[in-house]
Amino acid sequence: MNASDQDSMQRMRRRLLQAAGWGSLGALLPALGCGGGATPDDGISFALGRSTSAGAAVTGTGVGGRVVVVGGGMAGVTAAKYLRLWGGTGVSVTLVERTASYTSNIMSNLVLTGQRSIGSLQYTYGNLVSRYGVNRVQGEVTAIDPVNRQVTLASGSTLAYDRLVLAPGVVFTYEPALGGIPGLETAAAQAKVLHAWQAGAQTTALRNQITAMPNGGVFVLTIPAKPYRCPPGPYERACLVADWLKKNRPGSKVIILDANPGITAEVHSFTDAFMNVHAGVTEYHPGVAISSIDTGTMTLETSIGSIKANVINAIPPHRAGKVVTAAGLADQGGRWASVNQLSYESKVAAGIHVIGDSAGTAQPKAGHIGNQLGKVCADAIVRAFGGLPPDPAPVTNSACYSPITMDTASWLTAVFAYDPATLSMAAVPDSFREAASRSGDNFSKMNEWFSALMSETFS
Amino acid sequence: MKASFTAALLGASLVATAAGAQGTAPPAGRLLASNCFQCHGTNGAGPGFDAIAGKSVDEIYKKLREMQSRSPGNDIMKAHARGYTDAQLRQISTWLSQQRSTSLDD
Repeated sequence: MNASDQDSMQRMRRRLLQAAGWGSLGALLPALGCGGGATPDDGISFALGRSTSAGAAVTGTGVGGRVVVVGGGMAGVTAAKYLRLWGGTGVSVTLVERTASYTSNIMSNLVLTGQRSIGSLQYTYGNLVSRYGVNRVQGEVTAIDPVNRQVTLASGSTLAYDRLVLAPGVVFTYEPALGGIPGLETAAAQAKVLHAWQAGAQTTALRNQITAMPNGGVFVLTIPAKPYRCPPGPYERACLVADWLKKNRPGSKVIILDANPGITAEVHSFTDAFMNVHAGVTEYHPGVAISSIDTGTMTLETSIGSIKANVINAIPPHRAGKVVTAAGLADQGGRWASVNQLSYESKVAAGIHVIGDSAGTAQPKAGHIGNQLGKVCADAIVRAFGGLPPDPAPVTNSACYSPITMDTASWLTAVFAYDPATLSMAAVPDSFREAASRSGDNFSKMNEWFSALMSETFS
Repeated sequence: MKASFTAALLGASLVATAAGAQGTAPPAGRLLASNCFQCHGTNGAGPGFDAIAGKSVDEIYKKLREMQSRSPGNDIMKAHARGYTDAQLRQISTWLSQQRSTSLDD
């Protein structure tokens, strides 16, 4: 599509909107960015016509349109890459992300054992720009205008779009009224009782708390009710911390307080881990309600009694990123966004797609499948620009390896297919499986898997 | 107010669809085969586990069918292969066979 085609498309849209009496509905939806801490953009040009900086991998396909992607994690980056790779030079893509680089949550539990550095988990956006011709804006979205189809950034700049893709990840819920644990409302409390569930400074800080533990110390991990990001992740963390303490702080304990009625992922592997591999160190308690945490005395009040700890690692409940909730798209209890599961277009606002952890589907909230949601969404948008409906039978997959000790791992995988009867993605039962046993071979394959996944996403 | 706002947004979607030019459908099997990319690289051409791009349809298809028929044990691909129908495996194999075997990095 050339520039005059785009102009006529815009004119047609305006005309139709006005004819239907919608032209006056231009009120800005207030939308905070995805969590604060943005570096304001610095006057980068926002011209969003046909891109002139197409990477070598991108050729023309005959379709065109403008897409703004908000959020530079696994889902958002993949969507941006494939919009260009599959949409071609006529599809202009701008990625808005407030930070300069992405820190992978996957593998970040190995920072806690000292086996990985945070620096080894960081990825930049250079390839998206140079290879695929994605426009990169470091900034934060403050408002979405879904009718005139534009977003406003904290800098005051605006970006017009034909399709908006929101991939802001999650925010953690600390407000007791919304399900947060009482006692953790203040910044001081949150600095002492860490989540370390968004890899970065908190991960390193939790590592420091663990190494400061005495022999015979107590580490308490609390797990929120599902859905939360990375279903096996908390159990994996418990295993790794237990293994490190066993070797370095003899006599210590890891107490796992799970809000869920049982282990939510890899039941066989983690049951074996807690009952056998780490017996004497791990204590797993399902179905525990936590009424409060006192960060002064480092005591948890719970449905199984008071527990005093040296380190409390409380993973709070999550909800969709602020850009999704503030725009009113989190129609599932204010937490997650309902989407058309063929295209990931919001069921609340047309032209806005929600992918990754913020989307409310039966698929897990995790990076490997987040990458696939990015591709399904990109494919649907490219088809829409060509006037075509989305693929009627999308398939996605989830896969991950989970360390059980510092040198063995298990794995989990599931394929999801669209079920036209329920209009939703559902696991193909025979594919939903976990490893028969932990092994050193799985641990080395985990490293291969991680390298491949990050390369596919960021290269 | 909220209801009318939602109606307005849904209306805008129909407009966008109507305004789009007719394009060509993406190659059959591409979106399905993109499930392989996380572990086998973009277009199946690495870097990652075994290279799968550019092999013959028969070779890829037979391998996937063989994996489906074996007990998964400790092999994640044997479990994963069970998630696809026979028709889907054929589409995936066909699309991958048509890809260059070298990665975008080369």
